[in-house]
Amino acid sequence: MSSKTIAVSAEEQAKNEAFLKERKASGKEMRITRHSKQARITHGVTIVCCILLCISGLFVFVPQLAAAAGAQTVFAIRMSHRVLGVLFVAVPLISAIMAPKGVVHIFKNLFHSWDSDDKKWMLLFFPYLFMAKWIHMPDQGEVKSGQRFADGMLWLFGAEMGITGILLMLGSTVLDFGTGYGIILWLHDLGFLMIAVFGMAHIFLGGGIFQPYRGTHRLMFGDGTVSEADALYHWGHWAREEMTTREHVTEFDAPKTK
Amino acid sequence: MAEKAILFDSSKCTACKGCQVACKCWNDLPSPAAGEAKWSGTHQNPIDLNGNTRLIITFNETEAPAAYSTKPIGWAFGRRSCQHCDDAPCATVCPGGAITKDEETGFVTVDDAKCIGCQYCKSACPFDVPRYYNDGTLGKSIINKCTGCIDRIEAGMAPACVSTCQPDALKFGDRDEMLKIAYEKVEWLHDHGYPDACVAGDDENYKTHVIHVLKYGYEAHGQLENPSVPATVAMTQVMKPITAAASGLTVVGLGAMFALAAGYSRRRLVYNPDTQDTLDYDTSEVVQHGDPQDSESVVEHITENLPFGKGGAKHE
Repeated sequence: MSSKTIAVSAEEQAKNEAFLKERKASGKEMRITRHSKQARITHGVTIVCCILLCISGLFVFVPQLAAAAGAQTVFAIRMSHRVLGVLFVAVPLISAIMAPKGVVHIFKNLFHSWDSDDKKWMLLFFPYLFMAKWIHMPDQGEVKSGQRFADGMLWLFGAEMGITGILLMLGSTVLDFGTGYGIILWLHDLGFLMIAVFGMAHIFLGGGIFQPYRGTHRLMFGDGTVSEADALYHWGHWAREEMTTREHVTEFDAPKTK
Repeated sequence: MAEKAILFDSSKCTACKGCQVACKCWNDLPSPAAGEAKWSGTHQNPIDLNGNTRLIITFNETEAPAAYSTKPIGWAFGRRSCQHCDDAPCATVCPGGAITKDEETGFVTVDDAKCIGCQYCKSACPFDVPRYYNDGTLGKSIINKCTGCIDRIEAGMAPACVSTCQPDALKFGDRDEMLKIAYEKVEWLHDHGYPDACVAGDDENYKTHVIHVLKYGYEAHGQLENPSVPATVAMTQVMKPITAAASGLTVVGLGAMFALAAGYSRRRLVYNPDTQDTLDYDTSEVVQHGDPQDSESVVEHITENLPFGKGGAKHE
């Protein structure tokens, strides 16, 4: 929403002031739960695996690193890459089997049709990243349009990395893909490029390094909740719906202001 | 030192496999113990290159010209081993630096100690040559392929296989000289009733340091007529600078975003479901009523809070 203010009737204004007075007197803030404990654990394990996979993969991807580390060390790193790869594939799969409804929910959001606000948000996203102080963004549903795109890319290339990784492992142990091995390797390299770019952006935004996204790390690395104020800023349509139904809203002691 | 080459003249080869034995002896490569070797149904033994065998003589059945043979089957013997490509793709893709081209001789050598067991070289080789042996460390596979006996050459000797060849089917020397001999021999074969005879290893687009005189043509001796580097070699190589550039740009971009957002702050919002108003917690101002779709244009969004825009320099 913009910096503009809206004039309302005196009666409505009085109701709003009473609402705020009550809220301030309670010393509480509302927080909305976005992610379950299982989702956070799955995300945590996956992201740790992903980062370690990127680092260990670099020792084969960059010849200078391989030469500097030495063959025995690189071999040990390659073996750890395989173990991490198995975890990277297995943990989300096990989690998905444990909570199929959650998987349906994720993919419903991912493929949700884009409304006018979604399209506008996407068009504004790159200018916003460099002009966050000046640009206000349209309200969003539970998952922003750009978030759907970026998450989709991470899902797509995460899966691609998992599949090609397994094929590479089989191709260097029990199967012989011939020159097909080179194609699988190229796809694995392409996946690495995409994961590196989208992963860094994901960490920058989701980890709350970007100033307007401060506090978002709590969604996955904290208690899985978002404050009402942050929810209204990031996912306005969703936040209003949640604040109306109050199904996932919990009261917390408000943080002390400076 | 001029570029070197091994010349294999299939018209002289008797398939005695002395070269296979010499290769194993010089390179200290194990063979199956007595009783362990199994009949594979062909004289070719072992049936293909493997982790302990860098060179085999291939037995290909062919129809010998009637005038020169009284038997129904003729043999087109071949020499299957590393071809020592001039622009070796296996060396290009090797991340550990285990495979390198010896600039003096042109042979493609191997340093086992540097092999990390990734097997990328296998997918890059047009001749399907690299094989691997297990060194026992968690099943680590180490490349095994012909090195051109670079250690012997440096000591002034010919490769082991060449040294032992009784019928003189293998020769070693300067590549130009080997080519000259090969072309002369092919011309002789053409004149003596072998029209398909040809030279392999001197393709305009793909030169190697193993030259073949193929008496019955490429196919009969199991040789590739037009070898080429798999496209995946260039594709995987180009991914490295692209990934570096894309990652670098991303880091720079994120850094710029962080710097430009320094000092960012925004007002605290709350929602009153009763009035459906979104309020500024501190000033009680209503910033939005209800939950409508946004009505501003993209340009308005970008400019409204700029100093010249409608909303002044204040941001949400």
